[in-house]
Amino acid sequence: MTAAVTAPSHARASHQPLPEARLRFTGVLASEWIKLTTLRSTVWAYAVLILLQVGMGMVLALNITTGSPQSDASTAVFAASIGVMLNQLVISVLGVLVISGEYSTGQIRSSLTAVPKRLPVLWAKAIVFSVTSFVVSLVGILAAYAVTSPILSGAGVSSSLADPEVWAHLVGAAGYLALIGLFAFFVGALLRNTPGGIAAVLGLVLVVPAVLSFISAEWVTVLTQWLPASAGQTLFFGGGVFEPWQAVLVMLGWIAVVAIPAAVLLRRRDA
Amino acid sequence: MIEATALTKRYGDKKAVDGVSFTVRPGQVTGFLGPNGAGKSTTMRMIVGLDRPTSGRVTVNGMPYAEHRSPLHEVGALLEAKAVHTGRSARNHLRAIAATHGIPRRRVDEVIDLTGLHAVAGKRVGGFSLGMGQRLGLAAALLGDPATLILDEPVNGLDPEGVLWVRGFVRSLAAEGRTVLLSSHLMSEMALTADHIIVIGKGRVIADAPVGDIVGSTQTYIRVRSPRIGELARRLGQPDVVVTDVAADTVEVRGLAPEVIGDAALAAGVPLYELSVVSGSLEDAYMELTRDEVEYRTAVPAGTTNPTATNPTTSNQEVAR
Repeated sequence: MTAAVTAPSHARASHQPLPEARLRFTGVLASEWIKLTTLRSTVWAYAVLILLQVGMGMVLALNITTGSPQSDASTAVFAASIGVMLNQLVISVLGVLVISGEYSTGQIRSSLTAVPKRLPVLWAKAIVFSVTSFVVSLVGILAAYAVTSPILSGAGVSSSLADPEVWAHLVGAAGYLALIGLFAFFVGALLRNTPGGIAAVLGLVLVVPAVLSFISAEWVTVLTQWLPASAGQTLFFGGGVFEPWQAVLVMLGWIAVVAIPAAVLLRRRDA
Repeated sequence: MIEATALTKRYGDKKAVDGVSFTVRPGQVTGFLGPNGAGKSTTMRMIVGLDRPTSGRVTVNGMPYAEHRSPLHEVGALLEAKAVHTGRSARNHLRAIAATHGIPRRRVDEVIDLTGLHAVAGKRVGGFSLGMGQRLGLAAALLGDPATLILDEPVNGLDPEGVLWVRGFVRSLAAEGRTVLLSSHLMSEMALTADHIIVIGKGRVIADAPVGDIVGSTQTYIRVRSPRIGELARRLGQPDVVVTDVAADTVEVRGLAPEVIGDAALAAGVPLYELSVVSGSLEDAYMELTRDEVEYRTAVPAGTTNPTATNPTTSNQEVAR
């Protein structure tokens, strides 16, 4: 620091121009990628996600009993994707934190000063976070499959990744985690507050379905089917009232319901 | 060039900024001065679009900040120390900001060296002192090689060396032809750094003038103590000089250099017990500026008051002749 103190130098030490320096969406994407990957909490959360996915799959596979009524393929998918039940919480918390952490630390003001039109920050963050979450989730799920399928073969349950019923559900499981994470991200963007965002998302994913399950009215059953977590389970566990593409649309609908007000308020509110 | 026109920001029924208009010109340091809560930070935040004006308009180099193709090349802003995620290292924070504009890695290293952050660039910002946070904020502001710099209380939390460095640095930026807007609540800091000062109070512009005018008239004064103070005071009287009684043997003189007073004392053969330059606080200047506004309305015509510095009845009353 002494050198800098004794020599109040010019703003451009080298006086080399910065020719291509201008704001672009690809630049904002790159910026969000740097932000996502340079926080220890993010890296840890993704590592935990992979470990949980593999660990829970192993515990299930080792305790599987033969003669289950399910097909071999769905048993294999069940083992590889059981970790999603816990990891949807991990990805939800991370999704909220990715944006609420910017508000709690003041980082958002640096981010929005660099990108004063604001919305590119929201979209770039959503894209980078959901794509990264999808890829990491898929890695975790495929790793869980790789670990659990030999165990299951030993128990007489054989499956193949080439089977569309297997790979489509495994990809669906990763897609579900990415979508529920994206939903949490926009809830965080809307509420701008870490505890509030986490409470809202976990409430909708965990508490609301549990409470509704105690009510036997017909309309409550229908309502439950439309919740993001229940609709999304179709993507990997199968069953449910929706086709997979319908389930994706239901989840995208939930995302839109929070993303649109989040975007409008981001434009309007003081940062 | 920053141009604000009738800029207003209302929070609920309180006007934080109330119809402020000013122009900040390139090639000089413009000081933005006012007590805490006067509306300085809110105004600065509106310039870069972080706060939305309730009404009015502010442009940077001819258009709203957000409309520029390369915003960081137009304006570098240090609005608060540590507007940074605490879990990220200084270098990664700067890399992330630089990436938005495709600013190359070497420029990140340059601003790290420039602000003296090299030793701590790899450390997480959460452990930074306020001073290091200020340096990081300054580094971020400089990333885009901006034509305009907006610095909110940049010397806050810096050690004396850092304060000197910021002063010199800010002056060199202005000398390069850049526009520099610098806020402070310390009049003395402004006197040393700024060429032009905009004083803001209760959300309104109170004064907008070259630094010499404001500091000379309202801030620095000379405390003179002498057993024959009345005799000396009479010799100092001239237009634009204000002599104020503070004690039987002491006056405060505004508008004269200490050399002039000392020479006058020698010429008159008056012994001096004290001759000291006193830098007033912003609060003094601010009080005086607002009092001036009041006085213009109830002004006594100049020349009708006869300043008799030794007359105890004029104590605590400013008299000019």
